[in-house]
Amino acid sequence: MIIYVATLVVIVVIALALIAVFSKKLLSSIISMGFVSLGVSGLFFFLQAPDVAITEAAIGAGLSTAIFVIALKKVKKGESADEE
Amino acid sequence: MRNDTPELVKKITALFVVAILLAGFFVAFKEMPKGPSVNVNQRVSRLYVLKNVQTATKLMKSGNFFTKGMKPLRSDVPYTPIVFGKSSNLEDGAANVVTSIVVDYRGFDTLGEVTVLFLAATGVAMLLFGKEKKRKKKTEPSLIMYVGTRIAFAVIFLFGIYIFVHGHLTPGGGFPGGAVIASGILGLFLGKNGYEPNHLGLKVFESLSGMAFVIIGLTGLFSVKSFLANFLPTGTIGDLYSAGFIALIYIAIGMKVGAELSAVVNSMIVDTEEEWS
Repeated sequence: MIIYVATLVVIVVIALALIAVFSKKLLSSIISMGFVSLGVSGLFFFLQAPDVAITEAAIGAGLSTAIFVIALKKVKKGESADEE
Repeated sequence: MRNDTPELVKKITALFVVAILLAGFFVAFKEMPKGPSVNVNQRVSRLYVLKNVQTATKLMKSGNFFTKGMKPLRSDVPYTPIVFGKSSNLEDGAANVVTSIVVDYRGFDTLGEVTVLFLAATGVAMLLFGKEKKRKKKTEPSLIMYVGTRIAFAVIFLFGIYIFVHGHLTPGGGFPGGAVIASGILGLFLGKNGYEPNHLGLKVFESLSGMAFVIIGLTGLFSVKSFLANFLPTGTIGDLYSAGFIALIYIAIGMKVGAELSAVVNSMIVDTEEEWS
């Protein structure tokens, strides 16, 4: 049973990673990257590495997504200031 | 490749390179020598580790584990299975093998990791934290956001502290605990425009916990004659007061990582004027 769930998660993670690479909008890339981290942390949990799963969920899905979004906001602000 | 090459040629070349790499990977995978088949469910579980330890102990007792001329390391110690909540005075009292390796046996590596994180945080602060810009009028977050983030911060902060205080009993430890605390601080930043943590307090806190790590290591050096060696009794496995100095080191790491990542979030989120432009 668990192997089917894991396979489903792997497929979803690969699809989200492809979205993150090929998406035109940077924001949707960042969000799908956060979901990739979430799925990967679930896979770590299936592989009985709960400590790595906790770290991945806290840093990959939580903090780094937020920091990427802030960085994107700052870059856009700089671009619009240059155009003015 | 020159810039005026057609797009199609570039794409075909990239595809070709990827295909060669994939083919090489599969060939190498096929040509790998095959050992006896391993049950994957066992390979990743505690059972397998335990079985290996038992096999190794058997071999050590019979004398086949080491080549001739070498003495078995601890053949005088009979192997007894470790029972959660009962076994006491173990060599290392952490409930997870990973924890005892990361903090105890390879504690020096963890000190290096913490130093790398410190350098990264310092670099971010140096690049981004300049003079503060005059604030434009931004839309204030709603009252619900303000109150909600404050309530959530208390719970998240408590959970982060739980993760690193129980680092030697549960999976987790200093790094995830610190990251969780920094996420709570991020919520506070989002809840109110112009929220300012105490910068000096963060720096002092971070430096003190970093120094605590080194001082614990030095205590080991002077009492047990080895840097970052355990100098406290290990107690009963599963108790809060067990596993010697692992709990102390994880508390130091958790406070340090939490303060550092909060400083990173702070220097990212505050609007600043670049000094050199």
